[in-house]
Amino acid sequence: MTVKYESQKIAQNFFTFAVLLFLVQVAVGIIAALQFIWPDFFILNFNIIRSLHINALVVWLLVGLMGATYYVVPEESETELWSIPLARFQFWATVVTVTLVVLGYIWMGINPQANSTSLFGTGILNEGREYIEAPRWADILIALSVIIFLINNFMTVMKTKKWTGIQGTLLAGLTFLALMYIPGMFYTKSMVKDQFWWWWVVHLWVEGAWEVIAGALLAFMLMKTLNAQRHVVERWMYVEVALVLFTGILGTGHHYYWIGTPPYWLWIGGIFSSLEPIPLLVMVWDAFRTTREYRTVTNKVGLFYAVAHAIFNFVGAGLWGVIHTLPQVNKWTHGTQITTAHGHLAFYGAYVLLVLSMIYVTLPVIRGVREFSGSRAYQAFWWMTISMIFIVLTITGAGMVQTYMERLMGLDYVAVKTNYNLWFWIFRAIFGVGFLIGVAIFVIDYFRLGKEPLKIGTPEAVKITG
Amino acid sequence: MSNKALRNLFAFGSLGFFVIFVILTIDTMGKLDKRAPEITEEVNLGKKVWHKYDCIGCHTILGNGSYFAPDMTKISEKKPKEYLKQFLMDPKSVNPKASMPKFGITSQEADHLIAFLEWISKVDTNGWPPKPLLAQAVAVTGAELSPGQRLYQQLNCSACHMLNGIGGTTGPDLTHVGSRRDRTWILGHFKDPKAYVPNSAMPSYGHLSEKELNELTDFMISLK
Repeated sequence: MTVKYESQKIAQNFFTFAVLLFLVQVAVGIIAALQFIWPDFFILNFNIIRSLHINALVVWLLVGLMGATYYVVPEESETELWSIPLARFQFWATVVTVTLVVLGYIWMGINPQANSTSLFGTGILNEGREYIEAPRWADILIALSVIIFLINNFMTVMKTKKWTGIQGTLLAGLTFLALMYIPGMFYTKSMVKDQFWWWWVVHLWVEGAWEVIAGALLAFMLMKTLNAQRHVVERWMYVEVALVLFTGILGTGHHYYWIGTPPYWLWIGGIFSSLEPIPLLVMVWDAFRTTREYRTVTNKVGLFYAVAHAIFNFVGAGLWGVIHTLPQVNKWTHGTQITTAHGHLAFYGAYVLLVLSMIYVTLPVIRGVREFSGSRAYQAFWWMTISMIFIVLTITGAGMVQTYMERLMGLDYVAVKTNYNLWFWIFRAIFGVGFLIGVAIFVIDYFRLGKEPLKIGTPEAVKITG
Repeated sequence: MSNKALRNLFAFGSLGFFVIFVILTIDTMGKLDKRAPEITEEVNLGKKVWHKYDCIGCHTILGNGSYFAPDMTKISEKKPKEYLKQFLMDPKSVNPKASMPKFGITSQEADHLIAFLEWISKVDTNGWPPKPLLAQAVAVTGAELSPGQRLYQQLNCSACHMLNGIGGTTGPDLTHVGSRRDRTWILGHFKDPKAYVPNSAMPSYGHLSEKELNELTDFMISLK
């Protein structure tokens, strides 16, 4: 089986860049883990390493979602992409911007005073705001890249005007994502207002727009890997994404408990964010129900990753979030390692596995592969997933010790971190290496998939049909 | 329900929730200034210093940030100004075990940053961070404490110093201070720390009465 429209192959450029950044992200993550044990380990300080770890994550997920969109939209619109040169330009513009930002971070790590000059209202190298550290000039370039990307996809849809539910929802999610970048692009004198608008970006991305995109892509993958009927998967997709936004938009309130905002957010945030796991549970149920109903699997590895994504989205984003979302609990856990644990499992389940499953669903088709060995894909999955579960358990343990000793007993932050939590940091770093092994297996698989002859009788052979 | 009806429910329902969110945002924006002190130019400059050095890359503030270093929301209530300034400009000269590197923060930048940190400590955060429950429970039994022990609590010495595993790590551990220092040293050091430890960031406690200083010194001597 091969692609229906030649232009869908542009997705592969984005996937390749995403996969390489994934490797960088995890390698840098291990340096950060070691700095919890030896703060002076490595020439760059923790703040720079952490910025690289998280920015690489956000960028590779976005780039991966862009690749997925370039694949899905022509398929759904039943036409070639509006402009391939524009997509290529957008790809290279993104690569250049991201590279410049990374070089800027490294330079600032070596010479902190280099960030003294300001340009468009922020430091020239670093805005100094968590997750959105990229300086303003880079924000503007990134926004332009996203606008070009959206125009290209909308124009493709307009060619045939086939507004399917999946691509309508996907593009709605992406447009919402682009719009929600704006609240992070202006300066406020008040740190309270700064954090208030900052959460518009961070929360409405990961617990809003991105989950809408995940809903649309899950529907697409169930349709492709199981030949499931469109009207059925789209019906449940609407239920899921509607519940995501009905709970998620006002769920932003769980970030407004303690930052200087009025107390009514304790009620709004507590109630709505407690409901946020429901749509994620519906997605799990949807994935299982569809799999049982349509037993002919056209791409086993793709389906395996898609179902795993649904499960770990619920566990990581849903369960690990809801345990500390009520204000009564959050009062004690806010700002502790509990949040870090939630962040790791949520991003792995909700978005890392989403992009990886989209890669496994589309890449064999892009490369025109009829059959490939799924052996490395499964190996990579278990190395990554088991390591991630233990990373999350160790950080959760550290968070519980921190909450008890620092918040309840009143011990000093540094004493708890360096003495009582030391073993958690050591185990976390070890499991981090396990995760890196999984990623390395995945990256090798990505580059070799369909490019090596398949041994006859390989038990993990995955046939691409349909 | 048909797919079309579900689509409309998704689109218009989400829009409805977003409108509610925007209304709440407008209401919140109107209330924020009353929940925090006025922002002076110094505070604003301090916030810019905070961004310039990417402080959030290690610390948290209002509980949000990087969880690698202590939360800064109430730091100006916990540590004396002189200490903060000296630490910001050269952390390891104050506390050799400090993880924080020397960034080249100037004296003026440090003043602005401290003004910003003082501002944020006065923001109404709905009671966050909560006072440690168990530490409060211990304080209730204060009736049995010696006068020196009570002073130690009142002056919040444990913000910087550790005693039997409880307290800060920025100043030296006092668990066995009585076997390291004699009475004259401790008493003199309270009055003028820098005369005894040249790099000391501890403020002088010369404003205490001679009686109080002696009670505190008695307590220190007893720690062997």
